[in-house]
Amino acid sequence: MRIYFERSGGFMGLRLAGTVDTDGLPAEDADSLVEMVESADFFNLPAQLLPDTEGGDRFQYKLMVEDEARRHSIETDGSSVPASLWPLLRRLTILTRAGHGGFDTN
Amino acid sequence: MSNHYHSIFCILPPHMLQEIIEHGTPMQRRMALKNLTIGAQVRGRRHDLTQFAKLQEEAAGGLNRTVFDAQHGSALPGRKVRGEGDPPVGDPAVEEAYDGAGITYQMYKEVYGRDSIDGRGMPLNSTVHYQKGYDNAFWNGEQMVYGDGDEDLPISERLFNRFSASLDIMAHELTHGVIQAEAGLVYRDEPGALNESMADVFGSLVKQRSLGQDARTADWIIGAGLLTSNVNGVGLRSMKAPGTAYDDPVLGKDPQPSHMADYKSLPYDNGGVHINSGIPNHAFYVAAYELGGRSWEKMGKIWYVALCDKLNRTSQFQAAADITLAVAGDLYGRGSLEQGAVAKGWQEVGIVAQDSGGGDGGSGGTPSELPGCLPMVKAIMRLRG
Repeated sequence: MRIYFERSGGFMGLRLAGTVDTDGLPAEDADSLVEMVESADFFNLPAQLLPDTEGGDRFQYKLMVEDEARRHSIETDGSSVPASLWPLLRRLTILTRAGHGGFDTN
Repeated sequence: MSNHYHSIFCILPPHMLQEIIEHGTPMQRRMALKNLTIGAQVRGRRHDLTQFAKLQEEAAGGLNRTVFDAQHGSALPGRKVRGEGDPPVGDPAVEEAYDGAGITYQMYKEVYGRDSIDGRGMPLNSTVHYQKGYDNAFWNGEQMVYGDGDEDLPISERLFNRFSASLDIMAHELTHGVIQAEAGLVYRDEPGALNESMADVFGSLVKQRSLGQDARTADWIIGAGLLTSNVNGVGLRSMKAPGTAYDDPVLGKDPQPSHMADYKSLPYDNGGVHINSGIPNHAFYVAAYELGGRSWEKMGKIWYVALCDKLNRTSQFQAAADITLAVAGDLYGRGSLEQGAVAKGWQEVGIVAQDSGGGDGGSGGTPSELPGCLPMVKAIMRLRG
């Protein structure tokens, strides 16, 4: 499974982006990531989960997940995502921060 | 300070003022109320005063804070843990959010005469412990929300501390509410960067006032102490020297420009609202430094009046420069030190400010007492179609 992850905006406005391939992860980490994708029911989430109110300093997330059979992308600012997606967003934040991508400060 | 709204320059009849009180913006309401009250005092009409006292009471809701705990989940606002007047609960994040909202409220109230976010005593709601490992704080259109930083990681891997630990960040979030209630600057491109800059300006002013710092002793850092010792940096942004707040192997280098020549149209962050805000941030810093003294008093007042009465949803940097220059002229006189400092601030970031202020200057009168009238006349014209 391959995951493209991008988080931008937030108080600092930095973009954090990267691609995680489960083939390159230790088996335990790879399994846990696949499980998070499944628990979030990722492939059935609406493509756009955007806010219905004004606001400031929210993060914006873009995710694309693909495996042998499926490919799906979503875009969200986090205001209306199911609670089950948060563990995946956090895990991807940590992974991209630590080697599987990084901050792009332009 | 407040005499520029004196009723002697506003000869509008009370029923028109009443209309403004009912339908105007918070700033217009306050000016109209003040004029009604002073007018009634002058005429010695007690029944008017009683009536207006009631209106004033409605308008002045006062400080009303509530702190909620999201308990590391994502539901807002979460569980109520501390209300207005309640004693501390023993959780630093809760205490910070409570005190931060109070200190910010006090600056708006005592310095600018503003009663809370909407000018009508809107309750100040904050949620702490939002999510797990949430490196952020935000305004969701209705309330402030704070994450705990990298609390879910081992200390050696943490980049961020909890976001409520920084007074200017809390004041920044609350100010997003003020901006929403006033100019309503659209959160994209230049208007969005102005929105961000206004939030930083008043965020920093709240901190400077609480520490008793003047323009030359303040550090002008936004979010000092937010980065852990694992990061090479002094904070999240620098108004004094945008682009220098951090330079770190993981985080990269602070990308903020301090000059129009380096403006960045980015394909993310709503066009770079948190990046390009460095430009107006630096203009404010230079203007405040040039003038010296307590920045929340005169320079803050100029920016505040611009935000509440002059800027609109789509204002760009050039408009902000022109408007702040005109407001400085209105408040402190054309050719004043204050106006010169504003011009210098914008000039330093590559923007030549043009004073478009109403043609009321240079008459030898007291232009600083006029602007209170103009917005009210405009408001009446709007209300009456």
